[in-house]
Amino acid sequence: MKFQALVDRASRLLQDICRPYRRSTGNLPAVRQTTAAGSLKYEPLQRVLITDGVGRTLFQEYASHRGEARGDEETGWILLGLREADEAVALATLPAGTQREASVAHIRFNSIAQALGSRIVRQCDRRLTMLGVVHTHPGSLRHPSDGDLRGDREWVKNLRGGEGVFGIGTADASSAGPTEFAFQPRPNVHCLEGLRFSWYALGIDDADYRPLPAELTIGPDLARPLHSLWPTIEAHAERIDRLYRQLAGIRFDVINDEWGPALVLMVPLATAGEAVRVVVRRKEVRYYVVHGEEVFEVQHRDDYVDRGVFLLLAELAVRT
Amino acid sequence: MDFRPLNDTERRQLINALRGNAESDRAILMDRRDTSFAGTAEEVTDEEVISAIKSVPCHY
Repeated sequence: MKFQALVDRASRLLQDICRPYRRSTGNLPAVRQTTAAGSLKYEPLQRVLITDGVGRTLFQEYASHRGEARGDEETGWILLGLREADEAVALATLPAGTQREASVAHIRFNSIAQALGSRIVRQCDRRLTMLGVVHTHPGSLRHPSDGDLRGDREWVKNLRGGEGVFGIGTADASSAGPTEFAFQPRPNVHCLEGLRFSWYALGIDDADYRPLPAELTIGPDLARPLHSLWPTIEAHAERIDRLYRQLAGIRFDVINDEWGPALVLMVPLATAGEAVRVVVRRKEVRYYVVHGEEVFEVQHRDDYVDRGVFLLLAELAVRT
Repeated sequence: MDFRPLNDTERRQLINALRGNAESDRAILMDRRDTSFAGTAEEVTDEEVISAIKSVPCHY
């Protein structure tokens, strides 16, 4: 069985890496069928810890959004991070997207692109989970609206601990504070250069949102490299996501060359060291075959990534 | 069946899972469909995250 092969491989790996950790019997413990849920007892959130990378993204992109043609619309992000027993650590932001549905009074995110974005970000850390949603209000309503409450109360059932983190961005921060750095007039509020983010938590059994203390720490926004090519991700998300679900072992990367940022897919082939490499830009997709250190560009034009990869794999199968 | 070699990330994840199991009795998860390695109890499945993303309600 496949699992037996895995255990055999694991035994060899253990000999290499953790002799002190081996049990006296020398055998691996039996594998239990279990689920991820239930391994940690979740308490109500006491605080959200926000990395400086995530904080910069929110303030910078909110400021940038306000200067754009659609700047009077609401905008937003979803937050990925770690859900600990009684706190959340925000480590990544996925933007609403250019294909969002929004107005001055509502916003619905482009979730297809965000789903692909989550796959890309989580390839390096599969502990990352959905923490909550940040969105902006054009006026000075610094609290989620009644409409938000109706939707979020149902939605938080999907989250770890049955509780979510919610941020509200407004452009009404006091000008009395410092301008060089962010300040906190209240434990659940961050202000910078006229912008304000107010943080709340909402659990399944809560009648309303409650202010959630928000603290900043040093750390990345793990999804920030994706933001510069988000229109590319949106343009190809559906087909790339389908490809990812159909082929095992696909890896993503982001490059930035003289033609700008691009998303790179590495599709491993059966032979070690061989892969199909796909460089995806918004209006162009290029295909390469990697043989060890050598890379060959394929004269194969197909802007539909999934179809392009499968046609190339078929061609390679014929030549094998 | 898929007997391809693990890539670097998968190998690292498996090593971490084995170490967590040996050190802390942390569960190693198995895909119920094909018995492949499905992570550890600390990990979150793609399905859980994507289900949450796709069900984000409209905000006002």
